[in-house]
Amino acid sequence: MLVRLLAAPLIFFALEALIFRTGVYLPYLEPFSTAGNLQGRLGDEEKRFYAGSYEVIAVGDSRMGLRARAANQLTAETGYTFATIAIPGTTPRCWYYMLREVDPHANRYSAVIIPVNDYDDSQDGAGRLLDLNYLVPILRYSDIPEFTLSFDNWKARWLAFRGSLLKGFFFKNDFQDFLVNYKPRMERLRWDRQNGAAAAYNGDWGARNVAGLSVDWKAGKILSYPSWMDANKRQETNNILLPAFTFSDGGTYDRKWFGKIIDRYRGTRTRIIFIQLPRGPFVRPWSLWPRRGPIRGFAAEGTILLADQHAFDSVERPDLFGDAMHMNQPGAERFSVLLAREVRRLLGPPSR
Amino acid sequence: MLFNTTQFFVFLAVVLALFYTCPRPWRRVILLAASYFFYMSWNVKFVLLLLTLTVIDYTAGIWIPRVRPERRKLLLICSLSANLGFLGFFKYYNFLTDNLVALLKLPPHSFALDIILPLGISFHTFQSMSYVVEVYRGRQEPVRNPIDYALFISFFPQLVAGPIVRAREFFADFYNWRAPSGEEILRGTLMVIFGLAKKMVLADQFARIADMYFKQPSAHPGMLAAWSGVLAFSMQIYFDFSGYTDMAIGMAQILGFHFPMNFRRPYLADSMTEFWRRWHMSLSRWLRDYLYIPLGGNRHGRLQTYRNLMLTMLLGGLWHGASWNFVVWGGYHGVLLSLERVTDLPGRKTPLLTPLRIAITFTLASLGWVFFRAADLPTSGYIIGQMFAGGASHMLWYGWQLWLIFSILVLTVLQEKLDWFERLITAPAWVYATVVASLLLSVELIGVSDVAVPFVYFQF
Repeated sequence: MLVRLLAAPLIFFALEALIFRTGVYLPYLEPFSTAGNLQGRLGDEEKRFYAGSYEVIAVGDSRMGLRARAANQLTAETGYTFATIAIPGTTPRCWYYMLREVDPHANRYSAVIIPVNDYDDSQDGAGRLLDLNYLVPILRYSDIPEFTLSFDNWKARWLAFRGSLLKGFFFKNDFQDFLVNYKPRMERLRWDRQNGAAAAYNGDWGARNVAGLSVDWKAGKILSYPSWMDANKRQETNNILLPAFTFSDGGTYDRKWFGKIIDRYRGTRTRIIFIQLPRGPFVRPWSLWPRRGPIRGFAAEGTILLADQHAFDSVERPDLFGDAMHMNQPGAERFSVLLAREVRRLLGPPSR
Repeated sequence: MLFNTTQFFVFLAVVLALFYTCPRPWRRVILLAASYFFYMSWNVKFVLLLLTLTVIDYTAGIWIPRVRPERRKLLLICSLSANLGFLGFFKYYNFLTDNLVALLKLPPHSFALDIILPLGISFHTFQSMSYVVEVYRGRQEPVRNPIDYALFISFFPQLVAGPIVRAREFFADFYNWRAPSGEEILRGTLMVIFGLAKKMVLADQFARIADMYFKQPSAHPGMLAAWSGVLAFSMQIYFDFSGYTDMAIGMAQILGFHFPMNFRRPYLADSMTEFWRRWHMSLSRWLRDYLYIPLGGNRHGRLQTYRNLMLTMLLGGLWHGASWNFVVWGGYHGVLLSLERVTDLPGRKTPLLTPLRIAITFTLASLGWVFFRAADLPTSGYIIGQMFAGGASHMLWYGWQLWLIFSILVLTVLQEKLDWFERLITAPAWVYATVVASLLLSVELIGVSDVAVPFVYFQF
């Protein structure tokens, strides 16, 4: 009796692992879902032709404006090839696991670029359960304790535990959608496999800009919007008046996850470069307030490189931003060129 | 705390651990405490109601054999009145006053009260009443220990939705308790997992379609939409209720109790008479023994028999809920049962026609479910109209759900013919373990778990 009762959960875990921890189902995730998109982009990076030992990878969220194509047009000048796995909505916790996935032996890249809002800034994303949506495909059994406990409340910890242990619970909607819409899913997957990487590399973010947006910072009011903005976009733009993040944990979250990335590459040839992103079409008054982040501490220890804090100030212009937070194509291209040169300055010439 | 939640399984694990590690005399107290905790997790206040009814019926059970014969009936009436009084107030007060108000043309809801229906009241009152009646009839020894009686009424696996267990069945296990054998534990475990899969994988999936359709039938006009909505509810209610009872029976078996079966593949019945021998068997048995037979059963001629059948089914319908829909549903089944008696249909078996008879019986049962599920009688009428005279429309089911049902049908027929469930218990270990693992995987992948969908019969 005992054998039967014990064998049942063991077989269940084995079947579960076979489906969701191998290539049986994960390649068929909806490519336009959070998890599927991450899986696809990481897959593209793993499959990308490895140009040599002078590759630089960037992580980041939607604000990371690196256009690898623009940066790589300077390869002859800089000596480095750029790639990005920046995915909208991802956070430092995601970046750690994403980097581990594309660089399992921590030896693929000359440098990893990590963007932040401000070197003196810190963010508290410990309770952000959305990270689970991105990371479930790439979490391993050995990640479960640390990943689960990295959340700051028990409900999130439970959901993170269940999601990372039993991935089927997490993917059930995706699985059921696959059963219902098998053909369109396969067509989308085929398109994504054929064009996803090229679309990300060559995609155009558009030239639409926020020239015409004017803000009275003292009154906390937007005085005028660009004429193309509809009501929804205006509402979204109003966020420019809010502080970008809450700063409640004194840098604990950043110290943990940036620290883990730094530790992973400690003693390797890969350098970690932090950059301060262009702050927006305007420099918001509060983004200059001094805060306590861990980044300058890392730099003082000599474990990371800090890009010039003002390297990208010239991008902070309304005509180079598509909205209050994101660069447009001309802005991103300009930023990418500046970034490629800044990386070359920090790393020096490739030593062959 | 629903059976299909993580909390419940944590609770069950704790109860099992305590039950099997504590000395035997403590076990009844552990089960009683667990049962009251289970009930209180839904609503603390209504524990008083449960306790009150338990005290009344326990006292009646003690006193009935002790008093003079002419006073026994009085005690029985007091006990039944208390049970029916509480049941009537909580379940039927608003229904009765709303109808009275409509009859007297007073403003709607003039006497309406904001009443919450206590969980499982229809089940535990019936179980308690059956005990008192059996003591009155001299077929049941009064239970001396109040803890034992309280446990009989509140035993958590079957407290909220049955099966309705007879006192002699329960106490036969209770007073002669022996540790369940390995085979019983395997059977119980399999039943719990099967029940969970029936509920989460099948019932809750079909509930999505049924809820979508019955919420606003006019949004899905046409014959095909109506049939698919109604058939989805036929599937939902069967898998929901039988899933719950499988879990209840399985849990009881793991604890060393043997509950009667409540469902025996009712959709394979080839007549409505047979359907009621296979559907909610513990309620059918209760209605037969405490209503149909006391009314005279079939002992006083044909007309009286039909009258008794109709009365039993009407009251059985009303037991399910306080609305005219349930009365009509009960009456519909009463008429069908009477017609079968008139024509002696169940007695006339032709093997070649059996599949057709099964299909007709299933269709008739499904038509009855329209009254059971629809919001009111006009909506029921609209749906039935759409089923038979609606225009062209589309199926509300997905292709994979049709395959799922086809697989279930094959498994059901095989169970009817081969009883593979029992064979599984004694099959090689890897077969048993693979089946359990596959069921768990189906719960994980197809089960509805974003919200814990309550069991349909919890509302009764």
